[in-house]
Amino acid sequence: MILFPDGKPTTRETFQEYLAARGYRSVAANLEPAALLKEIIASGLRGRGGAGFPAGRKWSIAAESPETPRYVVCNAGEDEPGSFKDRILIEYRPHLVLEGMILAARAIRAEQAFLYLNETYDDCHRLMSQAIDEAGKAGYLGSLKVTIQRAPTVYVAGEDSAALEVLEGKDPKPRQKPPYPATSGLFGKPTVVNNVETLANVAPIVAKGASWFRTMGTEQSPGTMLVCLGDEMNRPGLYELPLGTPLRHLFEDLGGGLKSGGALKAILPGGPSCGFLKPEFLDVPLDPDSCKKAGSTLGCGVMRFYAEGTCMVEESLGLAKFFAQECCGQCPACRMETNMLVALLERIQQGKGDASLFDQCQKVLDFNRGKGFCALINMPGPPVLSAISLFRRDFEHHLQHGSCEGKSK
Amino acid sequence: MANTYVLVCQNADCKARGAVELLSQLGQRLQAAEGVEVKPYMCFGACQAGPNIVVYPNKTWYCGVKAGDVDDIATHAKGGAPVERLTHGVDPSLKDLIFQLLDAGLF
Repeated sequence: MILFPDGKPTTRETFQEYLAARGYRSVAANLEPAALLKEIIASGLRGRGGAGFPAGRKWSIAAESPETPRYVVCNAGEDEPGSFKDRILIEYRPHLVLEGMILAARAIRAEQAFLYLNETYDDCHRLMSQAIDEAGKAGYLGSLKVTIQRAPTVYVAGEDSAALEVLEGKDPKPRQKPPYPATSGLFGKPTVVNNVETLANVAPIVAKGASWFRTMGTEQSPGTMLVCLGDEMNRPGLYELPLGTPLRHLFEDLGGGLKSGGALKAILPGGPSCGFLKPEFLDVPLDPDSCKKAGSTLGCGVMRFYAEGTCMVEESLGLAKFFAQECCGQCPACRMETNMLVALLERIQQGKGDASLFDQCQKVLDFNRGKGFCALINMPGPPVLSAISLFRRDFEHHLQHGSCEGKSK
Repeated sequence: MANTYVLVCQNADCKARGAVELLSQLGQRLQAAEGVEVKPYMCFGACQAGPNIVVYPNKTWYCGVKAGDVDDIATHAKGGAPVERLTHGVDPSLKDLIFQLLDAGLF
């Protein structure tokens, strides 16, 4: 594997250990920016924060923007419920992440790089401060200034343009796009904002070459991905898998199946903003394109599994409430949509209304689609609509009885 | 049991344009009106046109309401004539959506 030799985190790597494993050789190789860009583009590395945008293309856009100075932001805001991959990466391999930041900065000729770090991640803060210090003393930073910025723990604060607002000393509210950060980011200057995992892949790619990287994963999505398994599994934790690995391998072999021992009812393969899948999709390969074909998205690798007996009305209401709570409030349509969905689902849950409520959910989402500055307005749709369509029986039972099947009100 | 509802949007934009005051004034004005209930509403989605007030079930949508319009709206709620001058400026498809939500009991 690329990020964790054993496919999962084992020990926290020190500076000496990183050097002994030939760390910083990509930085020491002193490649020209153009050569770095070429290698990352050739590798096909896609962003690991959820959107899957090609990293090389993002870097090229920033590198070709005439404005200076340019900036690199390593996004470790990590507010996705259930996600801990960025925290673990920084705790276990701080120098790998830092080397990726240095290389990204070199590729776009940035003078300053920021680690935008979830404010609750104290260990990460300590370990990365130490790593910056060690790398600086050893001369690996060159003239690059690397700073850590604490990130507020609200969901939208992890959105790239909201991160830039925080770095500028403002509230964590997403900006209207375009312009995208790569052309007009921090203080209006070209800025590459990459997820921690994306940047952690950079040094290995530069050291071993794009063609080596492409021996793992799929043609469209090369490399590996980190997946977070939750406490519903027998073996929860962080796993690294080649992209394209069948979901079943993760669920059965690595995760050890459901702790409850119950049959699988539903899968949420990419965090709270993706569509639910039925268990028959256990053989879907874990890569963005295959997940899309199956009717969901891979997101940033937070994988949830639901046992038979789970009420999907309650689950989708919980997700709808999450988005209503996390809506930052600046876009009217988003406020309206997220609150309306909660109200509609609550009526279904309480059995107050008729089947027209199902259509109303769809209509509210259709009406508001794309009417926000950021993607949050589009996020409740996939889980809510897929739950209604795949688990209709749960919804109809609630509508008729105001309770879950098998439970009295 | 009310048979007419005066729903006053209380989302941020409408509030910033005086919807809190409108809610309280309409509430006072219609306190004694039989069968009329004044209620806050989470959002009608026409934030740019606010403050928004919907009289239901006769589905009259008032936008850009000002304090000086309260008497006329109260009169309408009590069975008088609709306030024609306040009924323009909201997207018909949004009206349909909101009226369907109200018909589904969402208030």
